[in-house]
Amino acid sequence: MSGAGFLKIDGVATGYGATQVLKDISLSIASGEFVALLGSSGCGKTTLLRVLAGFVAPKSGIVSVRQREVTHLPPDKRGMALVFQSYALWPHMSVAQNIGYGLKLRGVASADIARRVSAMQAMLGLEGLEDRKPGALSGGQRQRVALGRALVVDPEILLLDEPLSNLDARIRLTVRHELRALQQRLGITAIHVTHDREEAMVMADRIVILDAGRIAQQGSPEEVYNRPASAFVAAFMGAENHVSLTVDVQSDTVSIAPGPANRAGQVPLSGRSLSSGPVEARFRPEAARLFSLSAETPNEPGLVFEGRVVSVTYPGGLWRHVVRLADREILADAVHPFAAGETVGVFVAAASLFLFNMSANAADSSVSRPDGRE
Amino acid sequence: MPRRLLGLLLVLPALSVIALLFILPLVMSAVGAFRVETGWGLGNFAKSFDLYLNDILFSVGIVSLSTLLIGLGAIAIGGYLTLGAHPLAVTILRWLYRWPMFIPFIVVGQILRTFLAKNGMMNNTAISLGLMTPIDAVSFLDWRGIVIAFVWKQTPFVALLVAGAMASVNREGIEAAVNLGASKLRVLAEIIVPQVTATLAVGLILSFVTMMSVLSVPLMINAQSPTMLTADIAFRVNAYGDYGVANALGLISLVLASSVAWIYLRISLRERA
Repeated sequence: MSGAGFLKIDGVATGYGATQVLKDISLSIASGEFVALLGSSGCGKTTLLRVLAGFVAPKSGIVSVRQREVTHLPPDKRGMALVFQSYALWPHMSVAQNIGYGLKLRGVASADIARRVSAMQAMLGLEGLEDRKPGALSGGQRQRVALGRALVVDPEILLLDEPLSNLDARIRLTVRHELRALQQRLGITAIHVTHDREEAMVMADRIVILDAGRIAQQGSPEEVYNRPASAFVAAFMGAENHVSLTVDVQSDTVSIAPGPANRAGQVPLSGRSLSSGPVEARFRPEAARLFSLSAETPNEPGLVFEGRVVSVTYPGGLWRHVVRLADREILADAVHPFAAGETVGVFVAAASLFLFNMSANAADSSVSRPDGRE
Repeated sequence: MPRRLLGLLLVLPALSVIALLFILPLVMSAVGAFRVETGWGLGNFAKSFDLYLNDILFSVGIVSLSTLLIGLGAIAIGGYLTLGAHPLAVTILRWLYRWPMFIPFIVVGQILRTFLAKNGMMNNTAISLGLMTPIDAVSFLDWRGIVIAFVWKQTPFVALLVAGAMASVNREGIEAAVNLGASKLRVLAEIIVPQVTATLAVGLILSFVTMMSVLSVPLMINAQSPTMLTADIAFRVNAYGDYGVANALGLISLVLASSVAWIYLRISLRERA
């Protein structure tokens, strides 16, 4: 993407009192890029956004826009506009007044304000609502007013603090695409804080996963999804099934020793940074393939577990099975249901099996999945 | 049916207390205002306006000016408590501003009498600091003294209500305005105050009514003409035993106070519509 290093965050650390919220965050964002800051509650993603917006002063580190340092500039001198999670619309002002307030503050002539506000309303599909108060709007309309209020001042960077989390699930799905399309049409740089993995995946050019105030991994949605750098990232990206294994790494193959729930197996090393010893294996329910033990074992690199089906549910599309493997239960999907109580084999293809050394520092940015694509 | 009777029976003590101790005296006093030597008439009101028109205007003027200043003071204090960037200053202000609420009006009058007199503490301090010469010293013990006393005593009460309402204004709404470049003054005037107008109005109306009924401050600070209606009422009763004019003046005060309450009711009804 053009204009790399448009917005730079260099070694930013901050905290409240003795609690350190952000630890040495460095990030370079290109002009026009859509970056999602993804993480669970308390990981520091909103604090990072507030550092960018100028509401929290970092204890150390630098924030710069176009090589110009803005670390200690007031919020309105950074060319950034923030859309709040609660929308933070002013209840005593009409839709038009809410959207036009930023222009009024800049001393724009009132005829000009009216023109730009109605253009913004037209762009966001808010025509005819200019005289309504926020209290008389639906959640989706409020969200668009908040967006219009931020966009009307022509910011270079749009900061979005979980702007979709207060919307109905159905509206949220369409707003994702609308917001993404709008961002691309305007060519604006956007930083979007969310705890919703799918939202980050469908909206962002790049996902930055934060864990306990550090960047756990960053990359394209496809990269973080298929090549998680740590057990944390793998779990956060949906690989919730985890099993302990013992492996022996030789040149380019990983031999997996048979365990209480798994047969012996071999997967190609292909790019994983892994050493021999106990490892944590992670995989997604949809990556597991259930088969009857009487049927033939899939003939491709991967690992086979054996277990007993505990329960079956139908969330839609695939049947979801809870399968008991020795000391733990995992989730596995299948096209056809297997009966509860049935003993089954669970096959996980090499490409979908994420392996991480147990003792190693989880934050090491290692590549855990083969380079090769399926 | 017996259940209903029981309910009535339960509220009866409270109802009779209100009727006997509040409504009856009020009605008696209102009725008394229309009783003249020859029977019924408006003579007491004619006399009241003849003798005390200046005092009526003086009272309305003083209380209105005080209300305005109290409103500004309360907004300033509430605004600083909400937006103040210096945590120590905010803590000190939060701790200090409430104290005048706990001091009775008569004590306020007494304190300010010694403070505002021609050779009182205020002028003495100014003279000793070289800010003015003894010849320039003037007494503030007139309408200004009453306004100062009212503002001093009532601002904390309104500030308490207003600061509470301001604290519950959405913080993100304030940050959104700052994000767009609003100064603190504009945030206060255009974002915060419009969201607390109902609370501000209630506080100011209660203060208005309280100030209309204070006797000790005008007696202590401004025992001359023109003075406030309360002093006149006390004078009519104590010096002449003239309950007719006193009642008429009381009714005039009541009408003044309730006109403010009426304005408030109209505002709140319009807001709810």
